[in-house]
This record gives sequence, structure tokens and C-alpha cells, in this order.
Amino acid sequence: MDLFLQLLVNGFINGSNYALLGIGFGLIFSTTGIVHFAYGSVYTFAAYVAWFLATSFGLALLPSMAGAIVAAIVLGVACYTLLYRPLELRRAPPLIPLIASLGLNIVLENLNAIIFGSGVRSANFTSGVYFAGPVFFTSVHIWQVVSCAVVVAALVLFLRKTRYGRAILAMTDDPNMARVVGIDTKKVSYIVFALGSAISAVAATLTLMKDGASTHMGFTAVFMGFVAVIVGGVGSLRGVIAGGLLLGIVESLGLWKISTEWQSSIAFIVLFIMIMLRPQGLFSIARR
Amino acid sequence: MEYIYHIAVLFCLYGILTVSFNLLVGFTGMFALSHAALYAIGAYTTAILATDFGAPFPLDMIASVLVAAVISAVIALPALRVTGHYLVIVSLALQIIVLQVILNWKSLTRGSDGISGVPSYNVFGFAITSPDCFLIVALIALAACYWFTHRLVRSPFGRGLRAMRENESAAQAVGLNILYMKLSTFAISAALAAVAGSLFARYFRYVGVDSFTINETIYVLAMVILGGMGNLRGSLVGAAILVALPELLKFVPLPVDIADKIRLILYGLVLMLILLVRPQGLLPEPRGRKAMLVSIEDESGPSDAEKLLDGEGGRKGEVVLQGSNLRKQFSGVTAIKDFSIALKRGQITGLLGPNGAGKTTAFNLLTGFLKPTDGVITLNGRSIADRKPHELVAAGVARSFQDLRLFTNMTVIENVIVALPGQSGRRWPSLFLHPARIRAEERANAARAMEILRFVELENKAHETAADLSYAEEKLLVVARLLATGAEVLLFDEPMSGLDQTTLGDIFPVLRRLAEHGKVVCIIEHNLDVIKELCDEVYFLDEGRTMAVGTPDALMNDPELAERYFK
Repeated sequence: MDLFLQLLVNGFINGSNYALLGIGFGLIFSTTGIVHFAYGSVYTFAAYVAWFLATSFGLALLPSMAGAIVAAIVLGVACYTLLYRPLELRRAPPLIPLIASLGLNIVLENLNAIIFGSGVRSANFTSGVYFAGPVFFTSVHIWQVVSCAVVVAALVLFLRKTRYGRAILAMTDDPNMARVVGIDTKKVSYIVFALGSAISAVAATLTLMKDGASTHMGFTAVFMGFVAVIVGGVGSLRGVIAGGLLLGIVESLGLWKISTEWQSSIAFIVLFIMIMLRPQGLFSIARR
Repeated sequence: MEYIYHIAVLFCLYGILTVSFNLLVGFTGMFALSHAALYAIGAYTTAILATDFGAPFPLDMIASVLVAAVISAVIALPALRVTGHYLVIVSLALQIIVLQVILNWKSLTRGSDGISGVPSYNVFGFAITSPDCFLIVALIALAACYWFTHRLVRSPFGRGLRAMRENESAAQAVGLNILYMKLSTFAISAALAAVAGSLFARYFRYVGVDSFTINETIYVLAMVILGGMGNLRGSLVGAAILVALPELLKFVPLPVDIADKIRLILYGLVLMLILLVRPQGLLPEPRGRKAMLVSIEDESGPSDAEKLLDGEGGRKGEVVLQGSNLRKQFSGVTAIKDFSIALKRGQITGLLGPNGAGKTTAFNLLTGFLKPTDGVITLNGRSIADRKPHELVAAGVARSFQDLRLFTNMTVIENVIVALPGQSGRRWPSLFLHPARIRAEERANAARAMEILRFVELENKAHETAADLSYAEEKLLVVARLLATGAEVLLFDEPMSGLDQTTLGDIFPVLRRLAEHGKVVCIIEHNLDVIKELCDEVYFLDEGRTMAVGTPDALMNDPELAERYFK
């Protein structure tokens, strides 16, 4: 029972990280229709920047995270400006940006490796261990859950209360209609790329704190984000959060019965089954 | 010199991979990015059989091909339910799952150690270990794979693949069996990748999962896109360039691990740049006359419409296609509530009604694109429940689409040929079993397609790309394509909308002649003048119900309908 509780809590904590990734990735995907695969490399880049700031300048967690957010926004917006926007202007068929983003991902991933070197880089942010009954968790875990909640709250406020937030919602519903009613879809696209990348940097810094940064961390991250989006239903914030948590819990509880070497496959199998059975997601009716 | 031979062997391996991948992504438009996993399955099958069981060539390669083809077909069955982005993501997930299985099934694959000491090929006691000897083997394999794929794509089967890529539902509507084509392509593409995998195992004499990561699929994808999707020669060019290009890096003094990463960056850059600058690739898909499989001897002969349309037996006025008490419910919405229709030989039946009345849904039910929730559809008295659209086309029921759905990146005449019935070349094994028969059929079909084009007066545009036609010409091509199916029941979804008076004058007699020759014609139409002019009988539909049936005059004089709709 104790093990079950611990796994459940671990799953919930990992899940909140997946939810963050899903929110960022899903924001870009549902608004612009671009499967931004290089999101993974932007995330990796952010983790390395946070690592660099923390180890070279001795910055604490929050300042490092702020630096990572800025770096991620710059890189994410650059991706849109240099690759996706020109493709949109050429009216490339919908699959082409996805294929191009696979190329972009390889380029960025290896640039990351050249700049920051391969191998795991870790930063020593101060961290404590806590117990709640039989369940143990660390300050990273608290950070992960809290930052997910903060990001979600801020995002909901932004989407509901600001002009651009409502423009994003409109574009998610129907890009063509949004254009017809006079929404500047180009500007909105820039905003979602900036927002999505910023959110990835939050998740990246916390992953750095927990497991360290490594060259290939982005690939799993972007897949987890995608799975959360698919499980939750494209365009549904509530769905993505539920999807991310569910994925984390399924993956963690899987450890109970399934040997560890298969753990990394669980997400892909969940993805496979979800797309086969319910491509519209679990929560597609309860939009947002 | 040894080094050059080694590069040439690599080119052969990648050549096979690009050609097989182009078949899948370029010709068929299915971006299933699990090619490296199938390559791995080929390599591992050979490595295991040759190392642990001493299987000699060609048993190892045959086994690789079969295993990969079967696994690919099994994977394809569920994966084919999704398209576009979802297919890409599902196939990437599959790629990872396959590699995980290989990594974790240690008793068979030796996990992360990989399988080393795979025996090299042995010809009469002479071991093929050096790159120059192996190059001969690799070249033969490449030539065979190229020849095989070339045969496939330059055939009625290949034309069907491209039609399916352009528009899947339209491909079904001209009688193509989508499931058969997709499964075949998945299996064949995997089988060819497995040939490359089998060679890989015998050449490097070692297999490990690192050689078959997602990046491998992306290199091959970059080669295919660089060379040109839908062009096999382009694939070889793409493979040659991208195998040779990174080798130039060897002349730049760089640490090994950096050079390796720069190689990857190079691939990624090429992929992005080509999509931005020249998305059709270095060698684009053949168009115009080059798209033809045979040349037509006599392109300007006289039209012989009588011959084109004869052969419909049966009594005028007999009911051919009948729908009774049809109902169609989508989750929550009932699009068709109660609809009955009887289409008669030699008559033009009109389907009239306001937008959203359920006219197109009625067509979808009658042609097998949707299954009715309730009700019976019979063709010549026999129920056609559960028949797929392509089976119904073969049985004699074909339809057009309101939004045309031409195969826009194919030539005008290809749009027509692809719809002609009874092509044995649509089944790929016949391409190799009866090549002569297929050529003869193709000649006859090309001539017949030309005749149909003459009938709709598009013969001068035969070799133009359908995307370049004017709207009126597109509409005529829709009629030509529907005629080409040879079906006796022809359902036209708004064939006249958006046409000027002159073009209408061109299409009217065409439809009338079809009916006179014993075809069963049904049109969806909004224009009352057209209905009056053409139709023998009109069904008036609203809110998913038949409101009235009768001659055009009777309907338009009906005081209630007149009050509500014809004001």
C-alpha cells in the first residue's frame, strides 16, 4: 500500500511536468496547427541555459529559470520566423512544417550538443527532502507541482482577460474565421510561440534540477507533451492537464507490474492506443 | 580505393532505402516514419539467422523480407486508421517501440551489445569480405529493388497510388481499393527496406540498435525529399548527394564527435532548405506526356460516342437503384430521417432541396460512403448493404463530388485512365506475372480515355495538369472521370453549379445522351431551370425527408412547395 501511494504521488508529480510540456506544445499546435517537433530542442536549450547560469554565475533557481525563459522565447520565436512562417507564406501543405521541424530538431539538438557538450549536466540547486506519512518527496517535486499550478492559473487569466488571449482562443476555434473577423494571426502566432517556449523553459529548469540536462532529453519531452495533448484532446487546456497527470500516473504505476526497462515505452504505447481508439482525446467535448 | 568502394556500398544501401521510402511517402503520400525500424528488422533477422542458425544466402534475405513485410502489414492495419499528423506521430512511436523491443528481447537480440560476428557472404567457398567484392552484390540488389519499384510505380497500380495520395475519397469513387493499396505499399516498402537491412548485416557483420534510430529515418527522408518525391531517379540522386556530402567533412580537421554532429546538422539543414526553396526536389515528379505509361498512336481521331456509350442492356424505365426508408443518424444529429428513392433506367432524376436538406448525405448512402442507420438499398433487386464504395463502382454505381476532388497533380488524361474499369494492373502481382497483357490493356485504356476526353471536348488538354484547368474545364473533367468508370448508375453532385450558359449548353446534351443510351442518371441541382430542362422526375428533400416526388412541372405547381420554396 505504501509503495502504491508513493508511486501514485511520483506519478502525479511527473504528470504535472508532462502537463506543463503538453500545455506549451499544445498551445502552439492548437493555435497554429504546426506540430513543432523542435519544441524538444528548445526545451533542451532552455535546460542548458539554466544550467550555465546556475553553475557559471551561481544564480539561484528562479533567476536561472528567468534566464532560461528568455533564451527559450528567443529560440522559439526564431524557429517560427525562420522556418514555419516562410512555409506558411508559401502555403506549404500541412505536413510540410512537421517534416521541416524534424530537420530543425536534428539541427538544434546537435548544435546544443556542440555548444554544451554531451553527457549529463547537473546544477546544485538547494533541495530538501520531506515526508508526508509514508510518502517522501523533495523540494523539486513541490516546485514541479506548484509551477504547473502557477502557469495554468496565469495562462487561464491571460486567455480569458486579455485581448490577445481571446484572439488565441478564437484562432484555436477556427483560424480562417479568426482572420475574417480581423485578428492578426501572424502576431498571435508569434505570441503562442513565445508563450509555449517560455512554458517549456519552466519545465526544463525543473527537469535540470531533478535529473540534470542531457542532449536527448528533448525528444522524450516533446513526445510526452504530444501524448498529453492527444490524451486530453487538442485545444482543451483542462484536457491537457488531465492528460499529462494521467500519463504520469499510468507510467509510474506501470512500474508496479512492468519491469523498469519497459517504462520508457509506456508513454509510446499509451500514445499508440489513444490515437487508435480515440484520436479526438478523452475530453474533447469539454473544451477548455 | 577501398574507401571509395565503401562509400559506394553505402550509397547502394541508402539507394534501396530511399527508393522504398519514396514509394511510401512520395508516391503514396503516407508519411509513416518507421522505415528505420523495418530496416532494423531486416538486419536483425538476417544477423540472427546467419549467426545462430548458419542460414545461407538467400534464405536469410528471404526471411528478412518476409518478416519485415508481415510486421509492417500488421502495424499498418491499425496505423492506417489515421492520416496526416497522426500517422507521423504514431509511426514515430512505433519506431521507438520496435527499438525498445529489440533492445529488451535480450535472449534473441543480445540487447545493447548487438550481434557481432555475422558471417559474410560466401560464394563457392570464397568469402566476400572486402568492399569491392561486396559492392557487386550491393549493386545487384540495388538494381533489382529499383527495377521492382519502377515497375510498380509506372503502372496502373502506381497511378492508383498517386490518385489515392491526391484524394482518398475520390480514389474510392473511381473504384480503387484503398485498403489493398495501402497494405500492399506498406508491406512492399518494408520488404525492400529489409533487403537493405539484410545487406547491412552481412556487410558490417555487426548489428546494433544505434544504426537504426529515428535519425536514420530522417536521413532517408531528407534524401527522398532532396531528390524529389514521386521520382525514383531523384531518390538515387538524393542518396548519392547525401552519402557523399558528409564525407567531404573528413577533409576538415575536426574532432570525431564534433564531425559526427556536423554531419547530422548537415542533414537537417538540407531537409529544411529544400522544403523552403524547392519543395518538389531536384527531380520533380514526371508530368505531361512523360506521365503516360504508353504513347497514344492516334490522338486526333474522330469521336465515336456511340461506341463509348453502348452496351447498356435492360428495359427503359425499370428501377435499377432503389433506397427504401433510409435513415442516417450521426452522433446526435439525424441527417436523413426518412428517404426513399427509385432511380430508373433511361431517366434523369433530380434531387432538389435547400442547403442542409440531406442531399449529399443521400448520395453518400447510395454509393456506400456512409452506412445507413436504417433502411435498405438495392441494386437490380439485390441488397447492397455493407458494400464498400469501390465494390459498388465495380457493380455499376458511381458518383461525383460537389467539390470536384480531381486528382489535381495528375494530368487530365491520367484522371480519366485511372477511373477505367477492369484494369488487371491495379493488382500489383499481375504487373510481374502478365506484363504483356497489362501493356496491351494500357494501350486500349489510353485510347479509350482519349475518346472520353473527345466526348467532353477536353482532348486538347489531355496532357495538362488538372490543377491548371479552368473551372468549367474541371467540371467537364469530373463528368469525364465519372463516365470512365463505366458504371450504369451515375450520380452527379451539382454538376452545373457555377457554370455559365455556354458551358451549361455543353453539358446538357451530354447528360441527355447518357440517359438515352440507357444509363441511370441522378443529379443534385439547385437551379430550377436546369431541373425543368433536364429531369424526368424530381425528388424534393427537406430536413432529411422526401417532401414531394413528381415531374418538374407538377412539383413547381404544387401550391404548398411553391409557397415555401419557389417564390
